[in-house]
Amino acid sequence: MQLELGNILVKDIQFGDKTEFKNGIVYVNKQELMDNIKDDRLAKIEVDIVRPGDDVRICPVKDVLEPRVKVEGGGQVFPGIFGNAEMVGSGKTNVLKGMTVLTVGKIVGFQEGIIDMSGPGAEYTPFSQTINLVILCDKVEGLPQHEHEEAVRLAGLKATRYISEIAKNVTPDETFTFETKPLTEQLSQYPDLPKVAYVYMLQTQGLMHDTYLYGTDVKKILPTFLYPTEVMDGAVISGNCVSACDKNTTYHHLNNPVIADLFARHGKDLNFIGVVVTNENVTLLDKERSSNFTAKLVDSLKVDGVIISEEGFGNPDADLIMNCKKIEALGIKTVLVTDEYAGRDGASQSLADANLLANAVISGGNANAIIELPPMSRVIGYIEASEIIAGGFDGALKKDGSITVEIQAITGATNELGFNRMGALEF
Amino acid sequence: MVKELEEVVDVPVVHVCTVVPISVTVGANRIDPAVAIPHPLGNPQLNQDEEFALRTSIVEKALKALSTDISEQTVF
Repeated sequence: MQLELGNILVKDIQFGDKTEFKNGIVYVNKQELMDNIKDDRLAKIEVDIVRPGDDVRICPVKDVLEPRVKVEGGGQVFPGIFGNAEMVGSGKTNVLKGMTVLTVGKIVGFQEGIIDMSGPGAEYTPFSQTINLVILCDKVEGLPQHEHEEAVRLAGLKATRYISEIAKNVTPDETFTFETKPLTEQLSQYPDLPKVAYVYMLQTQGLMHDTYLYGTDVKKILPTFLYPTEVMDGAVISGNCVSACDKNTTYHHLNNPVIADLFARHGKDLNFIGVVVTNENVTLLDKERSSNFTAKLVDSLKVDGVIISEEGFGNPDADLIMNCKKIEALGIKTVLVTDEYAGRDGASQSLADANLLANAVISGGNANAIIELPPMSRVIGYIEASEIIAGGFDGALKKDGSITVEIQAITGATNELGFNRMGALEF
Repeated sequence: MVKELEEVVDVPVVHVCTVVPISVTVGANRIDPAVAIPHPLGNPQLNQDEEFALRTSIVEKALKALSTDISEQTVF
């Protein structure tokens, strides 16, 4: 399966009479966009544009997405949400690079995130560096939580799809080609190089903790095999922002750095075989079953090593360790990518579970670290949520608008795909 | 808390816990497996009588664990 990604570099987003791409600028007809995403369950939709360096705080953030559109090849981006879950990952896809679509709105639970476009908080989130089309959605009175979450999730996906259409006939500024051959051919392509697979753990624990694969709820799947390019075409979608620091937004999935880095070394010093996606469920039997299937799939791939990325913390640490132990027991090396909840002073046990076989671990940082976020002249959303979101606490919000939170509250701060600037070194 | 109560207050403690491997890792001595992380002692798919029976069985197992002498970490 071969995919050519064509990046169209976005210099700015502006509102205009017609939704189009011209001279590096994405023009958006606000009314037409809102007509495209309207939903009886949403009482209010507002659209804003924020840029790097703006004196703006966005809260509570649900998801961040990147506009991508199929130019050649089967299926549609975000398959299973749009189209008939036709397989994606081949042909050509255009990307509006440098911008995002970002959803915000009244709190669904207590899990959403904060994004600061400037100041100390901006250092912790990648989305302070992108031009963001912010979609604020508020629900109608009395809407149940699950419906609320779904309505906002679909609004983000529909807005992203609407914007992406303007990229279809634009010549990209840069193109990158990725190819994974059918398994038997891929296994024999580079006989002298170590074969490496990627185990992609996805958070699947219910409301605000769910992930979708080709539109299906990942808690209901058994682990399965994907071509890496399927992920680049939106096969994996976030419904998950609990403790926003280490949850993968849809943008993270589309731009998964583990996949990008494995491709960068593919054919040079390793042979990237493919991706095993698995879940993180809420019963012990589910955890055992999924890790058994993951290990069996990895075994059948006959690889030499595996990178395993976790999503979230706490009980998913048990899924991570089960995957590690069961794959290591096959004689296959593992490297784990995770983050830490080591207390505000960093002195506590970092993960809820541990094992001696987990002897190669990459950390995205300590989510319990405290940060002071100074007041911003403008807030998009509802800043009072900072007192109840994960990482926030009673008294977090000061009268002057400044907030004190754990970096756990900042979208993407300790991302466990490595999509951040923080890490940890042991001396 | 499980370990602290046993060490400081010196009373036997049962950890009713869904993810048994975590309970083992943190060092609980008496472990009573629970149903699921969002509902450790219940199961919304059962009717009221069935759920009550399930809950009773978990609590009774915990009481039995409390009164059982052990020499190593034990999952009941």
